[in-house]
Amino acid sequence: MKKRLGLILLSVLLIVSLALIGCAPEKTETNQEDVNQEETAEKGEEVVKIGWIGSLTGDQAVWGNCEFNTVKMLVEEANKNGGWLGKKLEAIGYDTRGDSMEAVNAVRRLTAQDKVIAVLGPNASGQAISISAVLEEMNVSDIATVATNPKVTVDDNGNVKPYNFRVCFIDPYQGAVAAGYAADVLGFKKAAILYDVADEYSQGLTQFFEEKFKEKGGEIVAKEGFKFGDVDFRPQLSKIKEAEPEIIFMPYFYKEVALSANQARDLGIDAVLMGGDGWPSEQLLQMAQKSIEGCYFVNHLDFEDPDVQEFKNMYKEKYDLPVELNGYLVHDAFKLLEHAVKKADSVDTVKVRDALENAQMVGITGKINIGKDTHNPEGKDAAIIKIVDGKYVFQQKYSAE
Amino acid sequence: MSAFFQQLINGLSIGSVYALMAVGYSLVYSIMNFSNFAHGGVIMIGAYIGFFCMTAFQLPFIPSFILAALGAGLIAVSLEKVAYSPLRKRNAPFLYFIISAMGASIFLENIVIATIGPTFRTYPEVFSRTPITLGKIAIGRLDITMFIISAISLGLLIYVIEGTKTGMAIRATSYNAKASALMGVNTDRIIFIVFALGGILAGIAGILFGMKYTVYPQIGAITIKSFIAAVFGGLGSLTGAVIGSILLGIIETFTSGYLSSQYRDLIAFGLLIFILVVRPMGIMGKITEDKA
Repeated sequence: MKKRLGLILLSVLLIVSLALIGCAPEKTETNQEDVNQEETAEKGEEVVKIGWIGSLTGDQAVWGNCEFNTVKMLVEEANKNGGWLGKKLEAIGYDTRGDSMEAVNAVRRLTAQDKVIAVLGPNASGQAISISAVLEEMNVSDIATVATNPKVTVDDNGNVKPYNFRVCFIDPYQGAVAAGYAADVLGFKKAAILYDVADEYSQGLTQFFEEKFKEKGGEIVAKEGFKFGDVDFRPQLSKIKEAEPEIIFMPYFYKEVALSANQARDLGIDAVLMGGDGWPSEQLLQMAQKSIEGCYFVNHLDFEDPDVQEFKNMYKEKYDLPVELNGYLVHDAFKLLEHAVKKADSVDTVKVRDALENAQMVGITGKINIGKDTHNPEGKDAAIIKIVDGKYVFQQKYSAE
Repeated sequence: MSAFFQQLINGLSIGSVYALMAVGYSLVYSIMNFSNFAHGGVIMIGAYIGFFCMTAFQLPFIPSFILAALGAGLIAVSLEKVAYSPLRKRNAPFLYFIISAMGASIFLENIVIATIGPTFRTYPEVFSRTPITLGKIAIGRLDITMFIISAISLGLLIYVIEGTKTGMAIRATSYNAKASALMGVNTDRIIFIVFALGGILAGIAGILFGMKYTVYPQIGAITIKSFIAAVFGGLGSLTGAVIGSILLGIIETFTSGYLSSQYRDLIAFGLLIFILVVRPMGIMGKITEDKA
């Protein structure tokens, strides 16, 4: 009996430890960087460590992998050019698996153990919001990439969080841009919304789309919710079909966009679909194909803009993969940090923070003028993209009024 | 009224997916008296086999379908040999089986992430997305195909269980394994067949699920709903699993369609607790007799 009990306990222990190993933030570095680190350590040189967090596994792994690849590529590039302030760089990244708790653990490890000068990422608002307390405790800044929820950089009372910054525009702006474009440019009067009730990003876009669309004289004929993880949207889409909208706003991420778009077409819905920056991914084009033809989304940049081509080709050449939207934004986050370090002429985390607060630079996604009271890049135009023949085609720069 | 029928069709469509998965749970439960939580992993492998047959090897739908079913059957049988058979031979407690099943499920998911990658993959379009319309009601061609394939597969399974000598041996083993063995039934062979049949159904469910939605390493997670459906219908009863699945699909769809999708899981899991409290054997299940 004792032997059996022992075996049971041993099995449980094994499974729990396996699960814990699986849950622990995964440190990921390139071999080349290890070599660089060893070389510089031998020479007694100081290494500037840059942290990155995001999803390397799970639903958003495509974006997270692209972000971390970009950071590694840019670190390599910067090291070839002599590093920052004469010091070599090193990138340290941890997988958050899209989970807020993991993000907190990863930032704690980056700041307390790895002693990074700043953190880049994560690629989602939920994780970016949860890391504020650790950043403040450790006096280390974070520059979020595509975390568009307002609460990433300000608290519930609207006070700016001292160590949280971002390089993307925010949800209220994005939702309002979508509604303005749908009403003013496309001329639609009847809109339906399908949104993720469990996601702050989706809720934020929904709220501001709804307000702006009504303000423009439009009508929201149906508003249906689903929960992250759902794969069947037919019940909600059937109700939306009954309401006969001209456009359906879908403010969530590409996997659910592809599934719901396919199911909408299966049900015979031919309304135009529209979304936000959760849409653009090569995977969306593969998964939804004809279902999203002629549909629109709000983006951070025009993928065909001449300013982004150099970076796009560099990435393609190195990884033989197309760059995801996150790659462009983490590129700008990296350049913003570089700008701040050079401006501060120091890698001291507090001095870097102060420099970030007044930073003004031009990135490949546009001008980045960090607002002191918001820590957002202010006055950034949004790009409207249409899907034509299975490709992302830039329509125009558009700003919400 | 058309809205009602549209929602009913939506419910039947998701219910038929649950049914294929739920029957796999019930089949194993009826013989082994434990829930094979690695079933979701086998479904996922079936979905990937079908996907690669159609994309990497450019095979048509039918050969891909057969290979997915057989491949998943093979995986299920191998799992039985590696993860359960050694425990069975030592008369290990059920807790061991459940731990082993959970381990196998984590293993399958992680091996796919490590080798194939975590990205989503989409099946090529076999059936046109243009729906068949009856007045205001739209029915997807894939949904009709799925419903037919599910019905044929389940019909064949019920024939095997109810109408063949092997089926009789399965039923006898599910009723009393020890007595059946004493009466000359090769229970090892019966367990092998049960896992093979469960695996084949998992493969069919996997390829159909992949075509209907998408393929990714975590698709096995959907099986939690089919497990509820199996408990709802009566764990261990095949007819119960089918009825439970269709009912759960319809209840979920009507909840989302007429109430709010926020209540969908609340009602599904509430229903599970209610059934366990009021009628633990489910709609069709009987505690000590007539399993399988």
